[in-house]
Amino acid sequence: MKDNKVILSIKNASYQYGDAEEGEYALRDVSYDFKQGKVYAIRGRSGTGKTTLLSLISGLERCTEGEIIFNGKNLRDINLDYYRSHDIGIVFQSYNLLPFMTASENIILSMDASGIKGKNKREKAITLMKSVGLKESYADRKVLRLSGGEQQRVAIARSLSYNPKMIVADEPTGNLDKQTEEEIMAIFRELAHKQNKCVIIVTHSQNVCDMVDKVYELKKVKKGK
Amino acid sequence: MFILKNAWISITRNKGRNILIGIIILVIACASTTTLAISNTATDLINSYQSAYDKELTISFNRENMKKDFDFSKRDSLEDAKEKFDNITSYTIADVENFAKSDHIESYYYTYDISLNGNNIEKAESQTSSAMSGIPGMPQGDNMPGMGGFSNSSSYDFTLNGYSSLAAMSEFIEGTYTVTELTDDAWDKAFTGNYVFINEELASYNNLSLNDEIQLKDDAGNVYTFTIIGIYKENESGNAGPVDLFSNSVNTLITNANALVAITNTNSDIRGTVEPTFIIDDYNNADTIKNEFYGKGLNENYTVETNEEVATAGLSSIKNVQSFATTFLIITLLIGGIVLLVINMINIRERKYEIGVLRTIGISKPKLTLQFVSELLIVGLIALMLGAGIGAVSSKGISNALLASEIKSSESSAEKMKDNFGGGGPGGFNPMSGGPGGAMSDNPMDGGAMGSFGKKGVPDVQAYESIDAVVNLGVLLELLGIGLTLILISSIAAMVSIQRFSPLTILKERS
Repeated sequence: MKDNKVILSIKNASYQYGDAEEGEYALRDVSYDFKQGKVYAIRGRSGTGKTTLLSLISGLERCTEGEIIFNGKNLRDINLDYYRSHDIGIVFQSYNLLPFMTASENIILSMDASGIKGKNKREKAITLMKSVGLKESYADRKVLRLSGGEQQRVAIARSLSYNPKMIVADEPTGNLDKQTEEEIMAIFRELAHKQNKCVIIVTHSQNVCDMVDKVYELKKVKKGK
Repeated sequence: MFILKNAWISITRNKGRNILIGIIILVIACASTTTLAISNTATDLINSYQSAYDKELTISFNRENMKKDFDFSKRDSLEDAKEKFDNITSYTIADVENFAKSDHIESYYYTYDISLNGNNIEKAESQTSSAMSGIPGMPQGDNMPGMGGFSNSSSYDFTLNGYSSLAAMSEFIEGTYTVTELTDDAWDKAFTGNYVFINEELASYNNLSLNDEIQLKDDAGNVYTFTIIGIYKENESGNAGPVDLFSNSVNTLITNANALVAITNTNSDIRGTVEPTFIIDDYNNADTIKNEFYGKGLNENYTVETNEEVATAGLSSIKNVQSFATTFLIITLLIGGIVLLVINMINIRERKYEIGVLRTIGISKPKLTLQFVSELLIVGLIALMLGAGIGAVSSKGISNALLASEIKSSESSAEKMKDNFGGGGPGGFNPMSGGPGGAMSDNPMDGGAMGSFGKKGVPDVQAYESIDAVVNLGVLLELLGIGLTLILISSIAAMVSIQRFSPLTILKERS
């Protein structure tokens, strides 16, 4: 029996850019709950604030109004560097791997950032790569020599390297073909359903939305509303 | 630890970027090592050379200052000048002692000179020399007001030079006079009472020998008895004319200042001349001391001067090289620092994406800054070591080439001046005499009567012909200091950027 407790709760969160005019919001009054063991999609058209919401969830920005509660703690009150390196894994559409490093080095770097000790990090990295469908021989390959799908798998493996409770992914299949998209989505579902992680995917793809447990729809924010 | 590992991976995987930074630091390090080695070695040589001299400060009368107020072609004006000259308040031994009470004066000595006539001793005088010059043995100091700068002092037979201490006996120290005979206890008595050293020519002229007593008298008829404790000879007589039978000092009696003060106390009409020499702590304090002297009542017609010019006369070329090295170092650091900073700014802009990724996976700003600074430090230290090595090898050759060029330039100036005197010049003009093989000459101001030209900016002597700049621990530490400062300054670009860049913005730009 999975523990489907709420791991992340967004309460009336709003976000305004520093140079925004009065009443101009990138995101306005959003309230969602996310539970462990589920895959969520946040869908919306361009300009609805999907990426902004993801950046608030992942602790890259702080909401200007409202609050985000992770595991009972307000993100305002915790060290966001620690949060990003321990509690949440982030996967981007453009993978965001360091090109001068190999696949395993990218994963090990994330382990180092989270303070994981031990000499068997490489073995752990290879295990993670295998779990997302990558061959061991890719471990020492520079990431630029991998295909888009392979790079995204490395990015997912990296996000799992410190065993976070939650994975957020921004258009993770946006640059991939349909078959690879399905393979990546299968990985996310497995992470949620078998490893009890909360997976939040920001997307505008209906195909992705069809493969998740719950979809939140973001509406475009009207000025002054 | 992973920060250093990450820094090393970044360096080895981005060779082009780091080689470029390394080359810039290498060039800066090479230039800095060479210029620091030249500058430091030159400073050591200059200090070593100058340490041969005491830092002296003397007082002299400024005749030129007085002359400008008078038209000497008019008799009345001449009389006015004489009156004014005689009225200038001279300074006394008490004044000198007062002047010496300064924080910047380490010690002092003086000579005290008076003139007397012989009583049982006859002045040595050749007919020709009397006719030609008439003033052998006159006190030659410039501080003559009040005792006859315009009066005919040659009316006295003898000049008595009274020294306050051994240090004051500059003629003996410099070798102008040499003692030829001494009583056993001469130096015990030399500074205590009425004892004299007389010129060997005068001794011969009057058939005098050691322990004989001589009597001198003043205008009032007071007789003063001195015992001869030493006989000296004058080694050089630069101004001797072709018909002068005696040396300049023939009628100069060497005694101590206390004995002469006792005489002037007996007869206050006898006016002595005191010539003090103050040993100061630093040439840079000369102006302060000068102001102190004037504040304590030194007449404005006296000038206060140091021997710095003399003490550094043979160092013009090496100083030019040192100055060039210092200027070159400053320019190198300035340009190198700016180039390094700009390269780093460009470098950081190129690495914005990397910063964004590292920040996203939770690496804090301080750790990220540390990584970027570490990268620069690793590259910088490797380049500094290579630069120090290359600089050490090249500095000796470069320094000597620069000095050779400077000396050649000095020689050219001196030759040109020599030509102005018809190719010869008085006193055997040889601009390069005195410093062969980089060794200090016995007397750095050797060079004949033309030595005075050295004071006008054209060196008549070069103390050193080679610098042989050495890269020692001091240079290496200075280089390390400079290198670390440059690296840290150029790291500011990284530090500021890391603080300013928002990872989300960076990654969105990338997307």
